[in-house]
Amino acid sequence: MSSGSLRRITKELTELNENPPSGVTACPISDSDLYKWNVTLTAPKGSLYYGGVFHLNLTLPSEYPFKPPTLNFTTKIYHPNVSNDDKGSMCLGILRAENWKPSCKILAVLEMARGLLLEPNVDDAVETNIADQYKNDRAGFEKTVKQWIKNHAKEK
Amino acid sequence: MDSEQIDYQSLNYLSTVDHNLCCPICRSPLVDPVYTTCLHTFCSTCINKALERSQTCPVDRTPLQAEDVSPAPIMIANLVNELAVLCPNSELGCTFTCARYLVEAHLSHDCEFVYMKCRECGDKVLRRDAGRECLHQLEECTHCFQHIKKIDMEAHEKECPGLLGECMHCRLEIERSELKEHEFTCEEATISCSSSSLGCPWSGQRKELSHHQAACPFTFLRPVLQAHAERLTKLELENRTLRKRIEQLTPRINQSNTTEPLSFDEQAYQFLTEQEHMRQDMERLSATLGELEIKQGMLLMNESLRTKEELAGIRAAINGIRMQIHWLLTVRVHGTEHRHVVGGGAGTPSNSAGPSHPAEHSASRRLSDNFGQGVKL
Ligand SMILES: [Zn+2]
Ligand SMILES: [Zn+2]
Ligand SMILES: [Zn+2]
Ligand SMILES: [Zn+2]
Ligand SMILES: [Zn+2]
Ligand SMILES: [Zn+2]
Ligand SMILES: [Zn+2]
Repeated sequence: MSSGSLRRITKELTELNENPPSGVTACPISDSDLYKWNVTLTAPKGSLYYGGVFHLNLTLPSEYPFKPPTLNFTTKIYHPNVSNDDKGSMCLGILRAENWKPSCKILAVLEMARGLLLEPNVDDAVETNIADQYKNDRAGFEKTVKQWIKNHAKEK
Repeated sequence: MDSEQIDYQSLNYLSTVDHNLCCPICRSPLVDPVYTTCLHTFCSTCINKALERSQTCPVDRTPLQAEDVSPAPIMIANLVNELAVLCPNSELGCTFTCARYLVEAHLSHDCEFVYMKCRECGDKVLRRDAGRECLHQLEECTHCFQHIKKIDMEAHEKECPGLLGECMHCRLEIERSELKEHEFTCEEATISCSSSSLGCPWSGQRKELSHHQAACPFTFLRPVLQAHAERLTKLELENRTLRKRIEQLTPRINQSNTTEPLSFDEQAYQFLTEQEHMRQDMERLSATLGELEIKQGMLLMNESLRTKEELAGIRAAINGIRMQIHWLLTVRVHGTEHRHVVGGGAGTPSNSAGPSHPAEHSASRRLSDNFGQGVKL
């Protein structure tokens, strides 16, 4: 029944508007479709991604909260946990269908995404090459991250 | 009203509910709470839906079957059932609030805003109107004489064209149907100058328009300005056509522009490659030439060496012959001297140098060989 999922999404949206998390803005693209959200992440201080502004699409399945949401970076980002293609999908941990818990909130998903900007999860990487570079050549990794932020993640 | 139709999960609560009393799945206060063997509490409908998809606890993912779920302790059920809620028809106007478990009774017995069947015609009617006579019969509006259902009369009166309305400009009371037309003639309606299209910024009440127009420079210049405006539109049209033509032509020019330099480039490229070929040929040729020169020099040197040797040989031979001739001559002179006993001083040194025995002959030739070489040097 989709009215249940819609009701829960509305509740979570109200909660997010009342207590907006720091460094994250999230709202549905339109009032008529609450299943597609625009998300903006700014990296926390001390993160390699600090200074970048990242845009994401959050898509909630019609079976939400029984199925996990999906997160896609629309801003290009050099990150071991984000697929380096035009999808920019982030798929790990609680976002995997087999790990998803219906009790998990959108807020937790967003905070996990922001946490990954502070500390990539190399053990659960989609881009193993980037993960290897992160482990073995931190300077080179950092350089590419900064370059990509300069090229893609700067607000005009 | 059927009690099963109450959607408890969409009820509005009077105050914020402690999140401990909310279901982790729907995030609303628990409805018909149940708890699991892992001690998590859910609405019974929510956990059933979750178990249809995954046989794990929605909170901690421990394996979970339908038989691991049982009704929550009565205390929890009471806590959520006694939460104060608004009547589900609050949006229609019902102000009633009560404990959640009483909502059903309110809706089925008391709520004025529940739709019921009309006793007479069976149509829908709110409970508050159900006691009176049937409201679904047509009735004539006393203002516009249209036939309207009694139940809709309240809404109709808000827009009845027969009712008087007030002009928002002159406060005149006239029939609604004529209000729009009045607007076009109302003396106090705000209008702009008839020359506003030419740029007059004036706006004011209609009754002041004639006064304004008597002094309006735009109205005064109207014929001139209008002519200008017409010309301007004509020129604009022409301009647009011309621009279109240019747009059509530009790609063609660009094409011809791009093909020419291309062919030029090609030509230049051909020339350059040809030149390169020639340069390589030249290099090869000059290398061969150098080789040939060296070879020829060597040949020449060999040849001249041999010639030189031969020459030396010949010279030596000549020397030998000369000496022999000399010796023969000397012998002959000596022979005549012996016979005439007349001595010749000039002959003596030649005699001592010249070989007197055949054994000495070859040695003297070798000497003269050396001598010849010395001359050459
Ligand atoms: Zn559990
Ligand atoms: Zn629930
Ligand atoms: Zn009510
Ligand atoms: Zn009726
Ligand atoms: Zn009427
Ligand atoms: Zn008026
Ligand atoms: Zn004017």
